[in-house]
Amino acid sequence: MQTPAQDTATPGTNPFAKQKSHRETKESLIKWTLRSATYVILIITASIFTHIFIRGAPVVFSLTPPFINTSFLTKLPETLHVLEDKQGKKYETTPTGVDVIKKQLGDNLRNEKTISYSGGGILGPIVGTILLVGVCVVVALGLGIASAIYLSEYAKQGKFIEMARLAILNLSGVPSVVFGLFGLGMFVLSAPKITSHPLDRSLLAIPLGFGEYISFEGWDTSVLAGGFTLAFVILPVVITASEECLKAVPQGFRETSLALGATKWQTIWKCVLPFAMPGILTSSILGIARAAGETAPIMFTAALAFKDKLPWQGDTGIMGIFTQSVQALPYHIYTLSARIPQNEYSERAQYGSVFVFLVLVMSLAGASVILRRKLRAKYKW
Amino acid sequence: MEPEKKADAPFNAKDLIKPKRFLGLHVDKQNIIKWFFGSNAGVTIVVLFLIMFFLAREGVGFLPTYQWELSVYRLAGLEFCDYVEKPISEQVAMHSKLKRALGAELNTVSKVDRDRRDAALLAKSRIEDKVTLQTEPLQEALKAKAPPEKTDPLRVALTQATTAAVSTATLPAIFTAEEQIQLKAELSALQPDQAELPPFLKSLMAKSAQKTSEAKLKYAALISTVDAFDDTAEKLTKVHSEIKKIALETKEAANQLHMAEDAKKQLLEAATTAKTEAEKQAFLKDAAATSLAAIDFKVRTQPLRDKLPELEKLIPEYITAIKKAAEGIPENAETPEARKLISQVRTQLPKHLSHVEQCTQLMRDWDYAKPVPITQSLTSFLFGGDWITNSSWQDFYGVVPLLTGSCLIALVAMLISMPFSVAAAIYTNQFASLREQDFIKPTIEFIQAIPSVVLGFIGISVLGDLIKSISLLPFLSWVPGFPVQERLNMFNAGLLLAFMAIPTMFSLAEDAINNVPRAFSEASEALGATKLQTVFKVIVPASVSGILAAMLLGLGRIIGETMVVLLVAGNRIAIPDFSDGIGTVFQPAHTLTGIIAQELGEVSRGSSHWQALFMVGILLFCISLIINFFARQVVKRFKFHKS
Repeated sequence: MQTPAQDTATPGTNPFAKQKSHRETKESLIKWTLRSATYVILIITASIFTHIFIRGAPVVFSLTPPFINTSFLTKLPETLHVLEDKQGKKYETTPTGVDVIKKQLGDNLRNEKTISYSGGGILGPIVGTILLVGVCVVVALGLGIASAIYLSEYAKQGKFIEMARLAILNLSGVPSVVFGLFGLGMFVLSAPKITSHPLDRSLLAIPLGFGEYISFEGWDTSVLAGGFTLAFVILPVVITASEECLKAVPQGFRETSLALGATKWQTIWKCVLPFAMPGILTSSILGIARAAGETAPIMFTAALAFKDKLPWQGDTGIMGIFTQSVQALPYHIYTLSARIPQNEYSERAQYGSVFVFLVLVMSLAGASVILRRKLRAKYKW
Repeated sequence: MEPEKKADAPFNAKDLIKPKRFLGLHVDKQNIIKWFFGSNAGVTIVVLFLIMFFLAREGVGFLPTYQWELSVYRLAGLEFCDYVEKPISEQVAMHSKLKRALGAELNTVSKVDRDRRDAALLAKSRIEDKVTLQTEPLQEALKAKAPPEKTDPLRVALTQATTAAVSTATLPAIFTAEEQIQLKAELSALQPDQAELPPFLKSLMAKSAQKTSEAKLKYAALISTVDAFDDTAEKLTKVHSEIKKIALETKEAANQLHMAEDAKKQLLEAATTAKTEAEKQAFLKDAAATSLAAIDFKVRTQPLRDKLPELEKLIPEYITAIKKAAEGIPENAETPEARKLISQVRTQLPKHLSHVEQCTQLMRDWDYAKPVPITQSLTSFLFGGDWITNSSWQDFYGVVPLLTGSCLIALVAMLISMPFSVAAAIYTNQFASLREQDFIKPTIEFIQAIPSVVLGFIGISVLGDLIKSISLLPFLSWVPGFPVQERLNMFNAGLLLAFMAIPTMFSLAEDAINNVPRAFSEASEALGATKLQTVFKVIVPASVSGILAAMLLGLGRIIGETMVVLLVAGNRIAIPDFSDGIGTVFQPAHTLTGIIAQELGEVSRGSSHWQALFMVGILLFCISLIINFFARQVVKRFKFHKS
């Protein structure tokens, strides 16, 4: 690597310095062009982050104790009502508080505005995103690690393996909105489900004998459908990352274990996976961050613009959490930025949710980067 | 257990090994594990096929549905009406262009004074807005005919507020300093019950009105030309709207019949699965009651054909009229805008005339009974220029406007992201110090984790206004397309997508450069080449196919991105007007991905619109496969390079 030290010498400081030739000037010019292109990217990134932090952090944090605006994080989204009295004083309030203030003001009320989704907090979307990502992680890691083990430990060159690799490659290029369509067609409208009353649109209903049917009628828009769809979006990432980690485990480990009489499975379970697992998990976090950020796949499979209950409120039981649609942070941001007008009242909810979302996703991605670095230092073969 | 017997049996080494059993079955446990993992690896293949299957299941029905819709379009005579519709809409477009040209010409005389008037009125209404709090009680008091001692304090408060508001207001530079003082004085003295405007404002209004009439006088010839142009199509439009009504009624009847057929089919189906005899009878009765009187399209379209002689007579009349009106269009206009618009109309006119002439022939040849082949529904989907939904006339699902939008945005994004990502990859890999590398690489990879909806939000809240205000800077007015009309446009979306694609392109390109064998650069340096020569003459050419593959994969990401284009591209479904040249990119557009995300939530399952959206999904899926295929081909060449 070169250092630009010589470039800075000017005739004023060192009279004996060699005059820069035409070619040298040209070279350093080109080099600086390349360098500035690189730093433009970094500066744009930094300015986007600072913009969101400056506008969004005040919504969540405050300068006075207790420093955190808990109501934004612990309340559900609701419609914001803005009342103005004749003295020009403005009251921002919730749907329940409107009548109280109206009664107080009486004749003094001048005008009333409502801004959808902009009041309250964003607990609903946060919980929804966590549920979706939870389902997605279980499915994607299960399938992804298992396929990676096959690809790296068992597979021999052949038709099947070539096809699998081709499929992974193509799957990673499929647009996320197409995954959304797939999720809608498969999980929402035709995945198998155990029910006692199959719907008319069911593709196939197999009676189980005790009054229940396995009916291919789909899971409706639900956490389960959304989580599965997201899992397939990030599956290629998880497989590729896991395979890399498995391949990084030295071949000697496997040979030693097999030479001692261990079976193939014992070798994988005791001598390969323990060393690859931390790497697999950390690089999968990056995939999870991507899943948390995707909007298009959950638009038709899981997300809801507005819901006034948390998933576990209601009488549907534990499984009910997964079979209902939820609000999700990315979709909430989409709703906030596309469906309601931009004004001073909607800004709080917009920048607040973008800030929280970005912090969530970025801390996942950051954790992955830092952990990976630490792991690299720890496992050096 | 008798040892002798065993000795007699032929010796078999396999008997010594305990047979492999798992859960009581004669299967090797290791094999089961292997199959388990293998089947998991197969999931990706299965998923790929499932995607195709489900897209096809929901989408392929589009072809017959659309074929049916198109055949009704023809049978009911809507097609016939659209033959006339096309020239009429062209005429309307040309007329609006002439009107804009006229406006530009009139502005040369009247604009200054009108602007002064508008600016003064704007300042007035702004100040009135600011003091509404004080005005309202005064108005109420005046309404209630309160005595002066009550209204006077209110008046004082109002005047104070107005003066305060006026002192903070800034007036544009089109007023001289003295005029500004005068205007401000007048504005601060405003009262809600004032009968007349103050003198200076009044004089501004009068001046503007006078100039407007002067302008009208000056351009009287042009005005009468534009009016004559407007009148040309009057008769044609009248007949057209008459036949439209008839055609729509026929279409309505056809749709009703179709629904009745469906209902009958369902009733009959229900009858076969009915549990009790009584239910079955009820269903059958209902089915029998549904009348399925066939529509005689020949009779129904007869009135349309009857209008043909009238139309045939009107069209030559229209042609002579428009030719005459076109003669009045001036050769030269004063303003460049008017000149541009008029020349556009001039170039359009011959095309328009030929369309009009063709339309007679088309109407004569029109046959309601000509069948619509199923291939036509595919071709009109792939090459149709209109995407019109929920229309009271006829829905069209032509993908061309969406495809052009997607492609133009991708083009902008690629043009911006390619130089940046390649430059950054070269710099990071070849010139940056190790510490710099450690900082640049993770940061750029970090961009990948920024959710697209957040970038879309940035585009709506910041970038749109930024681009608009930059485009208003006077020293940038030479840039084509400036000043920008729409905040949300293709350029805005392209910029954000470029930023999104940079990490993908950067890391893959950097990998490709990194894979160039060390011997290459060592050999080059040993021959006395400088670092820069080595980089651009040896390393970059050696890794060019890898870089190309990186660009292609980046393109795949750009085309497939949904949220940014949905939020930022402006969502106008129309083929962009390419007459602006490069400035076209500042127009809003809609995209393949955006249309799915926007419309799928609002359509009912199984309708032609729903199926059309799945067809768009199939198209996107094919595009992504093709891009991937090319990227792979390019990488294959790269391998050959290395050896």
